[in-house]
Amino acid sequence: MNGIHIGECETFETEVLIIGGGVTGTGVMRDLALRGIHCLLIDRRDLNAGASGGNHGLLHSGGRYASADWETAAECRQEGEILKRVATECIEDCGGLFVAVAGDDPGFAEQFPEHCRNAGIPCQSLSRAEAREREPGLTERLIAAYRVPDATVDPFRITLENVNHAQRLTGSVYLPHTKVTAFEIESGQIRAALCQDTRTGAARRILARQVVNAGGAWSMEVAGMAGCRDVNLLYSKGTLLISNTRLSRGVINRLRPPGDGDILVPGGTISLLGTTSDTVTGLQGIRPTVAEVERNLDQGIAMLPGLATTRFIRAFSGVRPLVQAAEGIQDGRQASRGFTLFDHESQGLENFATITGGKLTTFRLMAERTGDLVASRLGNQESCKTALEPLPTGDGVRWTKPGFSARYWYQRQDPTDAVLCECEMVPQSAIDAILETAPGAEKPMELQAIGLRSRVGKGACQGAFCSLRVTSYLYDLGHYDSNEGLVRAREFVSERFRGVRPVLWGEQLPQMELAEALHCSLMGLDRLDDLASGLGSVPGVGQE
Amino acid sequence: MTTGGGQGVFKVIDFRAMAEQLLPEGANYDACLNCGLCSSGCPASGLEGMDPRRFIRMAMLGMNEELSSTPWIWTCTQCKRCMYVCPMSIDVSVLVGLARGAWPEERKPRGIVRSCQAQLRFSSTSAMGVRSEDFVEIVQEIADEVRAEDPRFADLEVPIDKQGAHFFVNQNSREPAVEPEELAPLWKIFHYVGADWTYGSRGWAAENFCMFTGDDSAWREMVRQRVEMVNELRCQVWINTECGHSFYTLWKGVERFGLQANFEPASLISYYAQWIREGRLPVNADWNHRGIKFTLQDPCQLIRKSIGDPAAEDLRFVAKRLVGEENFVDMQPCRSANYCCGGGGGFLQAGMNEQRRIYGLRKFDQIQTTGAAYVLTPCHNCHTQMEDIGEYYGGHYRVVHFWTLICLSLGILGESERKYLGPDLAGVNLPGMGSARS
Amino acid sequence: MIQEARQYRTGLAVIGSGLAGFAASVFALQRGIRTAQVGNTGAIAYTTGYLDLLGWHGDRLLDNPWSGLATLRQEEPDHPLSRISDQDIRDAFFGFTQALSEMGVDYTPPGDRNLLGLTPAGTRKPTLCMPRTMVAGIAAAAAGDRTLILDIAGLDGFSARELVANAGASWPNLRSRRIIFPGVDAGVRVFPEVMARALEAPAHRQQLAGIIRSVAGDAKYIGLPAILGIHRPDRVHRDLERLTGFTLFEIPTMPPAVPGIRLREMFEQAFPARGLTLVPQQKVKSLELGKTTARLHLNDSYGKVEIEAETVILATGRFLSGGLAADRHRVRETLLGIPVSQPESRDHWYREDYFDLRGHPINRCGIRVDEAFRPISESGRPISERLFAAGILLGGQDWIRQRCGAGVAIASAYRAVSFAAGCL
Repeated sequence: MNGIHIGECETFETEVLIIGGGVTGTGVMRDLALRGIHCLLIDRRDLNAGASGGNHGLLHSGGRYASADWETAAECRQEGEILKRVATECIEDCGGLFVAVAGDDPGFAEQFPEHCRNAGIPCQSLSRAEAREREPGLTERLIAAYRVPDATVDPFRITLENVNHAQRLTGSVYLPHTKVTAFEIESGQIRAALCQDTRTGAARRILARQVVNAGGAWSMEVAGMAGCRDVNLLYSKGTLLISNTRLSRGVINRLRPPGDGDILVPGGTISLLGTTSDTVTGLQGIRPTVAEVERNLDQGIAMLPGLATTRFIRAFSGVRPLVQAAEGIQDGRQASRGFTLFDHESQGLENFATITGGKLTTFRLMAERTGDLVASRLGNQESCKTALEPLPTGDGVRWTKPGFSARYWYQRQDPTDAVLCECEMVPQSAIDAILETAPGAEKPMELQAIGLRSRVGKGACQGAFCSLRVTSYLYDLGHYDSNEGLVRAREFVSERFRGVRPVLWGEQLPQMELAEALHCSLMGLDRLDDLASGLGSVPGVGQE
Repeated sequence: MTTGGGQGVFKVIDFRAMAEQLLPEGANYDACLNCGLCSSGCPASGLEGMDPRRFIRMAMLGMNEELSSTPWIWTCTQCKRCMYVCPMSIDVSVLVGLARGAWPEERKPRGIVRSCQAQLRFSSTSAMGVRSEDFVEIVQEIADEVRAEDPRFADLEVPIDKQGAHFFVNQNSREPAVEPEELAPLWKIFHYVGADWTYGSRGWAAENFCMFTGDDSAWREMVRQRVEMVNELRCQVWINTECGHSFYTLWKGVERFGLQANFEPASLISYYAQWIREGRLPVNADWNHRGIKFTLQDPCQLIRKSIGDPAAEDLRFVAKRLVGEENFVDMQPCRSANYCCGGGGGFLQAGMNEQRRIYGLRKFDQIQTTGAAYVLTPCHNCHTQMEDIGEYYGGHYRVVHFWTLICLSLGILGESERKYLGPDLAGVNLPGMGSARS
Repeated sequence: MIQEARQYRTGLAVIGSGLAGFAASVFALQRGIRTAQVGNTGAIAYTTGYLDLLGWHGDRLLDNPWSGLATLRQEEPDHPLSRISDQDIRDAFFGFTQALSEMGVDYTPPGDRNLLGLTPAGTRKPTLCMPRTMVAGIAAAAAGDRTLILDIAGLDGFSARELVANAGASWPNLRSRRIIFPGVDAGVRVFPEVMARALEAPAHRQQLAGIIRSVAGDAKYIGLPAILGIHRPDRVHRDLERLTGFTLFEIPTMPPAVPGIRLREMFEQAFPARGLTLVPQQKVKSLELGKTTARLHLNDSYGKVEIEAETVILATGRFLSGGLAADRHRVRETLLGIPVSQPESRDHWYREDYFDLRGHPINRCGIRVDEAFRPISESGRPISERLFAAGILLGGQDWIRQRCGAGVAIASAYRAVSFAAGCL
């Protein structure tokens, strides 16, 4: 479906407009496409820009919630089992442990097996020696250990595959950098969404029969724009750390009430340590802080002493949208991890729905419920197929998995396929595939978008080298004929720096110093504006 | 875990875990900055789709199956140049050694494995199958010839198993096995300076292919036998003759395996330099009045991996005295920064000729750039490799031992000992010519 | 095994082999001081080859670094460069560039104004001196002359198109072209170092010259990535100009790049030939400061080395070179634990914005020295009468934003050596 230019405004038409390119929004997109429905997905930034990209990628066994939230736990278990069947490429079934260490409440630990049984979660008790044989990094001061079927999921890949599949099924469309500014509402119906391209400022008008708000933490704001006051969210900021290498075989959870630094999740070739939980009031300027990193580490070290000398390469934060059911809950950890689907009929709208809350593990179920509502409103009789239909992969969407591009490159043995990112071994051919076929292929696709769809910038150097190599490659392809490529490179490394900043100590300091030498001393990215404007006025030759 | 099927199943090793146990203090693979200086300076970069930086990254990414089976480890000569240029002093050769050791024996390059097996078979520790009794016989025969040929060496002695000799001297098997006439120049030098030295009937061989196989127990066994022989003869100094890796393999082996060695290890080069400084080897470059140009190959095993630049200085001092300062041209880079020629680490014996010659191209260019007619080197593997790439790429240089030039300069190099000299030097300073010049 | 520790005695021991360490050795040799230098590859491996003095002050791009220094002395009196006179700085740059030129890499002498060196991005870097092989690019850019920038298939991170897109606005006759380096299969990765070494062989120069001639068109100048030889690059440069008939200039590349390798290899050869004891690629493990001498302990691959020195210059650099290190809480000087001036907590090491023009506070932290460039303790007194310090290990400067790293290294090395000489 192409946009039609009417004056200054580009108009699009679709059956269902989905707002928010996280795992939920893309899940809804695929769910509906499988029912034969055309969707248009927009995001104010790009895929997984919010909580979907800011989590630890854990596919919950349910064990985490077994003690406090039986329903969520059972939901997690069921959904985990489904995803392991239908999204095999996105999931590593690595298993997990729950461990308590000296000082933790032994009573809490003792009840764990029973709670798991109640939620139908397989749980096996391990001796200290068994646990440490499985995970040698665990402290000697273990007091209890249980094995559960935790797994990990690559949230970027699953999102990309959702969109990719929906595009193939019904020609559905994804528009990144598109922000809703207002809704046109007529007699209980949203007729169109007025949007703006956040990069160019261009206006866009999207006509849709149904509108789904999957804006994650922003969904309250989006609902408000449509005049709906029924979505009440608590924002809980969570910060995690990424290590340079993989630190454990499977997931390691601390067996105690949820707290900082209580989970270590492998992410392919790296590990993630999390997670803080702090209630925040706004969504602006969310970034990981030194204090949050310290809290995770201080707690994590008690469980895994090696964390004290681990090289961390980055930290990141996400904001969990938690649905405020009861008044007065101010602690995000106590709020429900369940999800809510608002049909907004009480707010006088018949073709608008908001899906929010929930978690990565249950996104499919959230999409199914949303899909059921939207399909029935459209008079579509098809039932949900996502629990059975395997998620297909594609050439443009498989590059986010840690270690994949390295293996791909190594197996191909094509010496002319230049490796542009050495840390993660991302070759030129991967960049080509992304530029050509990845969902949201902007023209031209920028470095940040490439980074989102690959491992570029995610390795030890955090983009120090690859930002420059990929930029040069984009210049070679003719993407830029001005300093725009350098401006984009500067944006990219600035964004990387936000995550690097709180973990700058030890081995990451020489790496940072080298990055600064590269970006500033060599390339002059810090003085780009001055140099661009000031060059003419500065004489070139001194005394020779 | 294993991978591959049938014969020669690859054992998959966890490089990151193993490296953590093995690393010397302060050199941590996790500290890699991914800058690529290692790969930029490595002649094996690009072979088999691998380079040192990639090797480290793949280890960090946990690509253990790939690293456990890549044939690249046999093209890396473990020369440690990557470590030399690394700001973080990361040593890739340690990982390569681990991988070599883990390869199924039947898949390892036959040339290296057979040589090691041969070394383990006889008390000579010779890789070329020269037994102790053969060695004694060959030595006696050649010594007789020398004594008969040149009256100045009528009382030449070639002691074997001489208790309490000051120097224990090792001997690369190539000479007794293939070119026994090349033994004589070395003896003549010892005789000339009046050195108190001996060979051992056992453990005399210099080469150690067991180290190249990655089999630590075999490496240890080689060193153990040799150290035992030296200890038994109560020699004070073990002199490594003109062979590169034998020096590294012995001192490193003693250190690595905690062996008891009651002697000081030394390179013959240091003694050449000392004897020249002391006037005991009054060499000069008068014979080179035509200004034949010479360059020098620093063996990695002796210089970068062992003694370092002091030995490189000794090599240059000796070389310049021998050929004339103005006739000496250094390769670039050189000394501790020198490139491996591509003959080291068992590459020469690994049967990977195509890769070895690609590796050696950089050395060939270096030599060509000097414009030298001769390359001096105190290393047998360097010698053979540089000859091979010279021939392959159409160079016109020759490769010579130091002992050849020392004896040439002193006028004691017999006609039969000039195998490696070209026609330009075939008749120069022949014994019996006095000081006459050709 | 019986092995004696190798021992050296020397008047001056220089610890560190970055720009400051090498400069200290150069100045010591010029004064005839018996010198030993120890240290492994550090940040010098990543240099552009440009020797900057002061490129920016605050938000001002400095055309004249000397007038910038005058302002600096008023506004930042603790800046290492504020404590060195113009004359000393000028002498230091003259002495150093002259030594480089004599040892085999020809450099321009310091002038009155900054040169605007080209970067691989097509931006410009203000610098006081530069390798002779790069000079012609300045004139070509200033005149906007017909210039062809060449890049090479398989050399990642150097795009002639990128350079032209960025520099082309003020340089109308700038064009780009990709070539295949002789002997390299098209598209296969090739490192600058490998090409530079290949070009030391006359045969390869002839082949490259042929390629350049065939693509040059009406260009007057040809710009190339820095690949014109490692050893004696000026000879390679001259020869290629002769063979092509064009004026050639080099442009720095991203690491692993040639200019740093050039300098390091040059020093490694030239110093021993001039009587300096160089223990390359080794870190000093410990340093004892006695009443009359200092003793350095280190291990190389072959065992222990001891150096007894009357004076010591500490030029160990920052984090990249290992002179500074930090845990989660504090920055420390690694060899002696000399106090490091630094922000209160890690949260203040870096600003929120990577490219904040005020620079990151951590880049200003470092050790403090007295008027004689002797490191001082908390009490402000010298740690030892015979210990001096030089280079970017010194606090109070921002070598990243100010583009003053080489200036601090060279000038402080010059001062440190002159004070050390006073103790000998």
